[in-house]
Amino acid sequence: MNPEVERLLYHRRTRLVARWILGGTFVYAALHKIVDPAGFAKIIYGYSLFPEYSINLIAIITPFLEFFPGLALILGIYLRSAATIISSMLLSFIVILSINIARGHEFDCGCFSIGEAGHASAVVQLLVRDIFLFVFGVYVVLIEIYTQRKSV
Amino acid sequence: MPYKDILKEFLILLPLSVAVAFMVNHFSPRGIPFFGEWDVSKGVITAKSRNDVVVRELEIKDFFEAKEIFDSGNAVFVDARSPDMYEEAHIAGAVSIPAYMFNEYIIEFTALYPVSTPVVTYCSGRECEDGHTVAQYLIEEGYSDVRVFIDGYPLWFERGFSVEP
Repeated sequence: MNPEVERLLYHRRTRLVARWILGGTFVYAALHKIVDPAGFAKIIYGYSLFPEYSINLIAIITPFLEFFPGLALILGIYLRSAATIISSMLLSFIVILSINIARGHEFDCGCFSIGEAGHASAVVQLLVRDIFLFVFGVYVVLIEIYTQRKSV
Repeated sequence: MPYKDILKEFLILLPLSVAVAFMVNHFSPRGIPFFGEWDVSKGVITAKSRNDVVVRELEIKDFFEAKEIFDSGNAVFVDARSPDMYEEAHIAGAVSIPAYMFNEYIIEFTALYPVSTPVVTYCSGRECEDGHTVAQYLIEEGYSDVRVFIDGYPLWFERGFSVEP
């Protein structure tokens, strides 16, 4: 790898910015879902992918699986596991969005606000955004594992 | 071994998130039960939150019952969808009261229809709760005979019954 790029990737500030972007995004995304679990449950129903008995449970738990790992990334604690949880969630969002794009199913994403339309162009934008964030997440996981291993 | 440390972090973060999720949901006034009602054959879908507007007893599930009420001419049909959707087409004779603009529309409605008037609300089908929302608002206004036609405009149109304009 180019030593300049390598230095940039391992630089403390780059890691900090990546963590804050990812953590901030997830904390922000979690808040409106925590405030309105019924609205979020309806959005999950709209994806037409989950069994009926699981919808409310997903709506109750998911926002906090976004909030606490997001907060951990901002605070700089449990970085590897927090980034792994967030990356796994992003990967599942990417799969869910892709399935709905593939079958032409319109839905409300509910990512940052209730009522985020799921029309074709908007969904592709969401997909690109999630892929971008997923790359950030994988970067944080790998860089934190590497730097902590190095420091041992 | 870093994996042991990562596993330890997981064992703190995941149970913490789940435990707080259930705790917040339990104490929140907007909390929801573990299981909702997501089967459209049973009526309008709902997460059954504490401030839920869906009341099964008000629902008209049988299309022909709604048609009978309509044909009797005794009830006023109220369209709870957006003004745009109402303008595009609505059940013949229906009055528009969009759920999110209730306060703006109710004054004119109460002037025209006394609280003893039977009212049937509707919106866009069994995945839409606006019909129930408007029904609850109307009950709060004093209307005593309020029902919700849960299949709403889509099925009415599909069956070829009278619509306007």
